[in-house]
Amino acid sequence: MSDGDIKVGIISCSGEEIPEGTISRLATRRVLELMRPGNTVTICLPLFLAGNEAEQDFARKHPTITVDGCGKLCAKKGTEKHSGPVSAALVVSDILDSQCSCCARSAKDRTESDKEAVWLVSEEIAKAVDSILTENGGCCNSEDDTDSATCACSKPVPGMEILVDGKPITVAGLALIFDHLAVNGLAPDDKCGDKLLETVRIYHAIEPEEENAYKAALILAYKTYRRKS
Amino acid sequence: MSKRKTIIMPCSGIGKVHGLIAREATYAAADMANAETLCLALLVSGDKDARAKIKDADCIAIDGCPKLCAAKNVEMAGGRVVKSVRVVDSFRGHRGAEPGTATALADDGWKIVREIAADIACGLGKSEVK
Repeated sequence: MSDGDIKVGIISCSGEEIPEGTISRLATRRVLELMRPGNTVTICLPLFLAGNEAEQDFARKHPTITVDGCGKLCAKKGTEKHSGPVSAALVVSDILDSQCSCCARSAKDRTESDKEAVWLVSEEIAKAVDSILTENGGCCNSEDDTDSATCACSKPVPGMEILVDGKPITVAGLALIFDHLAVNGLAPDDKCGDKLLETVRIYHAIEPEEENAYKAALILAYKTYRRKS
Repeated sequence: MSKRKTIIMPCSGIGKVHGLIAREATYAAADMANAETLCLALLVSGDKDARAKIKDADCIAIDGCPKLCAAKNVEMAGGRVVKSVRVVDSFRGHRGAEPGTATALADDGWKIVREIAADIACGLGKSEVK
């Protein structure tokens, strides 16, 4: 996905005491990494609330969505106190109603219910992002831009361009590959080349003599991609 | 360690894996040592109940980065920080570790979580690691 012109800030409460705080955090990460990566950024709420000027300045300049776990609305109230009105305020307990009663705080206890809850909340965040982008005339890099007359499986997987020995090459699904490897813990350092090459060549033909050039290009692209997410 | 209640407060920083390690180490340490945690944002936003809760407790702060949001905010809210843990310091014994991301921890990340939690639990007199 390409970068959009408008960056929407998403501020999650990440409340530690309740499962809804974990869901708010994970749903926010899902939107940032997978659903609207080119149009969203996040900031740490405790740092923001503690009065860090740079963080508070961001929320003044950009449309912001707050995602709170419960009705105490720490993220919304804190953001409005320091930076003015937010563009949208979502509350996990309202979105999920009683569905989060069996959700967990820690990742080690996560079940299908937790994944479903994160999915539902992230869908709501993505809708709010799209609504803000539409109002501001920005580009919606939506996964949901489906034409009702078209089967999703017939749509080409979006590609990403990399420079291999100075030559632009488009690799289909590269952003999805990067997201998958990031979730599985691949660090964006100089040692990630072999894993990147191994995964990409499953979907994209790479001749043996091109391996080193591809590896260098993929390392650079992966580092850049992770910096933006 | 005194008989006061122990509250473990992570920064939960959302941008880096260190914040997630702080958060998961809090849950693990709280389980091991029968301690509690408290929403940092609620405390920082000035909630009276949250402030009253930390006033009567010994607080352990676990911060992902050197900005120490958890430790500083607990102190600003009138809490007493008896131990301040920096996740970045825990990485020194794990050169080349691949801890995962801010969304999900890999094996190395969970290893660091367990080490931090065990250290905290040990300090609280709970040497048995679940």
